[in-house]
Amino acid sequence: MDDSLKTQRWLRAVIGSLALAAIAFSATGVVIREGQALLVLRFGHPVRASTGAGLHFKLPWPIDQATILDMRRRVYETGQTEMLTRDKKNVIARTFVVWRIGDPLLFLQSIGKEADAESKLDGLLTNASIGTLGEHDLSALVSTNPNDLQVDKVESELLGSTAPMALKSYGVMIEQVRLERIALPEENVTAVFEQMRAERRQFAAKFEAEGNLEASKIRSEAELAAARIRAKGAEEQARIRGEAAAQVAKTYSDAHRTDPELYRFTRSLESLGKMINGTTSLVLRTDSDPFSLLQSKEKP
Amino acid sequence: MSRRGPPSEIKRLAAPVMRLVDAAWQRMHWWVATMAVLYALSGITIVRPDETAVILRWGRLVGDTPALQEHGPGLLFAFPRPVDQVMRVQVKHVWEVQVNTLDADAGATPGASSDEDENVSMGNGGTLDPLTQGYAVTADHNIVQLAMVARYRVREPAEWAFYGPTAANVLRAEVTAAVVRSLGEMEVDRVLSDGRKNLVAVATRRAQAGLDAAHSGLELSSLEFTRLSPPRELAGDFSAVQSAYINAETMKKDAQSFAEGIVPRASAAADADVQAAHAAASADIALANGQAGAFKALDKEYRANPAVVRERLYRDAIEQALRSANVRWVPPPVGGKYSGFRISLPPAGSASRPPA
Repeated sequence: MDDSLKTQRWLRAVIGSLALAAIAFSATGVVIREGQALLVLRFGHPVRASTGAGLHFKLPWPIDQATILDMRRRVYETGQTEMLTRDKKNVIARTFVVWRIGDPLLFLQSIGKEADAESKLDGLLTNASIGTLGEHDLSALVSTNPNDLQVDKVESELLGSTAPMALKSYGVMIEQVRLERIALPEENVTAVFEQMRAERRQFAAKFEAEGNLEASKIRSEAELAAARIRAKGAEEQARIRGEAAAQVAKTYSDAHRTDPELYRFTRSLESLGKMINGTTSLVLRTDSDPFSLLQSKEKP
Repeated sequence: MSRRGPPSEIKRLAAPVMRLVDAAWQRMHWWVATMAVLYALSGITIVRPDETAVILRWGRLVGDTPALQEHGPGLLFAFPRPVDQVMRVQVKHVWEVQVNTLDADAGATPGASSDEDENVSMGNGGTLDPLTQGYAVTADHNIVQLAMVARYRVREPAEWAFYGPTAANVLRAEVTAAVVRSLGEMEVDRVLSDGRKNLVAVATRRAQAGLDAAHSGLELSSLEFTRLSPPRELAGDFSAVQSAYINAETMKKDAQSFAEGIVPRASAAADADVQAAHAAASADIALANGQAGAFKALDKEYRANPAVVRERLYRDAIEQALRSANVRWVPPPVGGKYSGFRISLPPAGSASRPPA
């Protein structure tokens, strides 16, 4: 019985202590996670702000009240705003910011909720965008000349003109401002379309002209090459024929030189044979050879 | 008893609770002990192969450097809540987000899908409303529309989980800004042709720099354009350029075909002519050699019997001539001259007739 009594007492002490500790911990302990901030209000009056993660303590409700703020970064995209650049061109720009709560107490006092912070940022950024882009030409944002482009500078100026004010006025830390969109007003798009159409027509005409030129050049060069080949062939042909003729002439002259008189005689006979044909009419006397043989008294 | 009045009252009030606890302990002490052990072990976590885990102890990250903070796959021992909290992050999984802010139907609604592009009205007959329709301006002040898919993974789990902005929001914004800026440096023809690869590379690099600056803890694995084209109103004009280009190429290819045909044909003809010349030359030379040989043989005979050979040659020639010619034999004149003598010759080609 004594052991049982001791166990009962020990058990009662443990459970009582645990219950008391749990109640005390839940009333006074606050665990602040990484990326969170703690703001302690004593009877509604802010007494302490902490951005360090860990276990924090406060007095139990209703004396102290703990408010935990999400300190993670957020992205906010502004609306699209039409503005005038320094060279008097209308553009529509939209920016986005990466921001976080920089001063929890000031944020809570001046804004309170995240959604309200974004409306404050929208006004701040729109105002800064109008001012900053008004100091730059459109070529600072879009240009074929790399030296004209100054997007980094524009974004840096936007950050410089918004971040200090946002931190000082709202406890909002703006870490990044970037131009997310650059567009043209609807009225200008029609003119841009016409310009693009004209450029396309120009390109189409250029391609066709270049194609014609190139094709003509290829054909001409081919015809020239073919003509050269044919001419070379003709030259070779003439050379072969000439050499052959020379060889033939030499052959004949070598042969005929042995007896020129016989050559003249045989050549005359050949000529006679060539000249007399079926269309030639000869009138011969019957007392001439060979008809005269019929009248000759001498017998062969 | 009277000096223990107040404590006795508390005891009296607590007695039922104590009895309940005593009874519960006697009947369920094994269960309670088991639950206590399970609670003590509840901090042990299994980290899967595609995950990395970080431990928060009383909300504070355990470890001073990322290498000490991050725990790879396997068993992870931690204290039970509320002391420790284990966060597991899928670091190897590649996620994707559609970026349609510069597409036809998403100018004012970031993230809207572009799946219904074909059904989207393109404005009032030749214009675009920048508030409702997305597009980007190129360096030469042309307009293009594009839709993208950004693929990413978590590179720094602690930064992503506790300090970074929402992944989809920051990715959409950074990628859009990077692409808009990169398009502002390139001419439309480069963008739509050989500059596309460069555009992707530059925009990816810029978007990653933005993600790093935003402490997002994300890595942009790839950026793909699912659509990059001029506005639909200008599609016909761009197609006309493409057609002109194709026509030009066709003309060039036709000309090349012509060239590839005419030159070999000329070579073949020239070669045939040369071969014919060779053949003719060989024939002429052979004929000359033959005739020269024949002449020499005749001359040899002629030198031996000149009169006979000459007579034979002469008569052979005369006979041949008389055979082929149209011959009219007439009697010799009487008294040395003809008187009233007439000869009729047949037309050319007619058969010979006996002498008149």
